[in-house]
Amino acid sequence: MPTVAVSGLKRVFGERVAVEGLSFEVEPGEVFGLLGPNGAGKTTTVRMLAGLLPPSGGTATVCGERVPVDGDGVALRSKVGLLTEQPGLYDRLTAHENLLFALKLHGVDLVAGWALALRYLARFGLKGREHEPVGAFSKGMRQKLAIVRALVHQPQLLFLDEPTSGLDPESARTVRDAIAELAAEGRTIVLCSHNLSEVERLCTRVAVIKNRLRTVARLGDLRREGMTLELLLDGEAQAFVAAAQALPFKPTALAEGRLLKVLLDDPATAPDVLRAVVLAGARVHQAQRAARPLEEAYLELVRESPGEAA
Amino acid sequence: MKGFAWHRALAVYWKDFLDLRKHRALLYSMAALPTVLVVVPAGVVWAYVRNPHDPNLKVMANYYGATVGADHAARFLVDRVLTDWFTLYLIMPVFVPILISSHAVAGEKERRTLEPLLASPVTALEILVGKSLASLVPSVTICVAAFAALCVLIDVVAWPLGDGLVLPNAMWLFGVFVVAPLFAFFGNAVAVIISARVGDSRLAQQLAGLFVLPLVGMAGGQFAGFLKGGLEAAAVLAAVMVVVDVSLVAVARRLFDRERLLTRWG
Repeated sequence: MPTVAVSGLKRVFGERVAVEGLSFEVEPGEVFGLLGPNGAGKTTTVRMLAGLLPPSGGTATVCGERVPVDGDGVALRSKVGLLTEQPGLYDRLTAHENLLFALKLHGVDLVAGWALALRYLARFGLKGREHEPVGAFSKGMRQKLAIVRALVHQPQLLFLDEPTSGLDPESARTVRDAIAELAAEGRTIVLCSHNLSEVERLCTRVAVIKNRLRTVARLGDLRREGMTLELLLDGEAQAFVAAAQALPFKPTALAEGRLLKVLLDDPATAPDVLRAVVLAGARVHQAQRAARPLEEAYLELVRESPGEAA
Repeated sequence: MKGFAWHRALAVYWKDFLDLRKHRALLYSMAALPTVLVVVPAGVVWAYVRNPHDPNLKVMANYYGATVGADHAARFLVDRVLTDWFTLYLIMPVFVPILISSHAVAGEKERRTLEPLLASPVTALEILVGKSLASLVPSVTICVAAFAALCVLIDVVAWPLGDGLVLPNAMWLFGVFVVAPLFAFFGNAVAVIISARVGDSRLAQQLAGLFVLPLVGMAGGQFAGFLKGGLEAAAVLAAVMVVVDVSLVAVARRLFDRERLLTRWG
C-alpha cells in the first residue's frame, strides 16, 4: 500500500487555480521529489497532503488517512512531519525548549522523546548546543534543528519543503547530508525543491508540476527521454548554432566555447546534425552522445505552452 | 469541544509564557503601566493628606456636591479620587493582554512560526485557548499584584488621617477580582481578533490600544463630576462586559480558523 496516493488533487484560492489534476503515488521508503518552479503549487500540494489546507477537489490518502481530512485532521498531522521553507523556530527559546514544545504538542513521552531528540541532535552535529537560544544559531543549524523537530514524534512520512532554500553552499550541503542520512535509513520522504542537483542526489522518482502535473517519472527515465549530441569543433561553436537549428526538426543548440551541444528528441537524427554542421564549414574533432541533463528535461517540462502563457 | 486536548492547549500556553518571560522589552512595557497606575494615585492622596486642613480641600469637596466639614474634606477627596481612579486602573487589565496577545498571535506570523505550529496536531481552538491563557494569567496576576501594592502604598500615605485603612474597600475588591478579569478577557479577545485580521503585531497593538480610550473618557467624566463611580457602577460595568466578552469569544472563534490563519499568515 503506498504511503501517499493522490488522485486529481486541486486547490483554488478565489479565482486563481494554485494546482490541479495532481495524481501520483509515493511508496514506503521512497524519497520522492516534487519539482517545479516558484509558484508552481509545490507548497500548496504539501500543505494539502500534510493536513494543513483542505483541497478544493480530488482526494488523497496519506499514511492511511483520507484527505480532505475528517474533522480537524489531528490523526493525519500526528503521522507526518513537515519541514517548512522557513525553519519557524522560536528564537528566544533554546533548542531544548523548541523541541520540548514539539514533543508536548504531539503528546510524546517527554523522557523518551528527548532521548530520541538527543540522538538526532548528535547525528546532525548539534549536541552540546541544545541549551543555547536558537536566535544565536546559524541558518544551517536552524534548518537542521527544524528537521529534528519534524522527526521527534517518529512520523511515518516526512515532507521537506525547500529545505536548502536561502542557505549558503556550506549550510545547504550539511542539510543535504542530513537528508541523505534519513533517506539511507529508509524513511519515506517527499522533497519539494527547484534545486535539480539536490533532487538528483536524493530522489529516486519525481513529479514535475507547474500548477498541474507535467510528469511522474524515475530520474533515469527522465534523462533518457532524448539525448544530447556533443561536438568538439576546431573554433568557436557559436558560429554553427544557427546551422544546427535550421534543420527541419528544429533542435535546440547551445555553444560552450568549442563545444556545440545539440538536444535531440530522436537519437536517429544525430547524423543529420553532424552533416549540417560539417556542410556549414565546421571541422569536427570529436562527436559523442550524452544523456540529456535533468535540467533540460525539467525546463522542457515546465516551459509554458502558448495557451498557458496567457 | 469535541477533539479538544488540554495537553496541547497547555503546551501552547507553556511555550508562550516561556517566550514572554524571555522577552525583556515586552516585560518592561508591561511593568510601566502598573507602576504609573499605583504611584500616581498615591501621590495625589499624599497631596491631600499632607495638609488636611487646607481650606481649598473643602472647596474641592463642595464642587463634587459633598456637604462635609473642613475636617473631613481630605478623607472625602481621598475616597473620591480612589473611586474615580478605579476606572483608569481598568486600563491595565485591558492594555496588558493587548501587549501580550498582539505579540503572541500576530508575532507568530512575523517569526514565520505559524506554519510549523499548524502542521502539528494542535487545533485552532487549542491555539486560541493556549494563547489566551498565556495572556490572561499574567495580566490578571499583574493586576492583582499591582492592587496589593496600591493598597499598601495608599494606606501608608493616608495613615496620618487617622481613619484606619482606606484600601481595600468593597468596590476595589469587586473591581479587581471580578471586573478586571472581565476587562482582561475583553483586551485579549480584541487583540486576538485584530491580530487575526492584520497579522502585524505593532499594528495590532496600536489598533487594539484604541479600545482603552472609552475608559479614559469615562475617567475624565468622573473627574469632571459628570459621572459617578462606585460599587453599583462597577456592577453595571461587569454585567455589560459579560455580554461583550461572550460576543467577542464567538467572533474570535470564527476568525481563528485554521485555513484563514495559514492563507493570511502562513
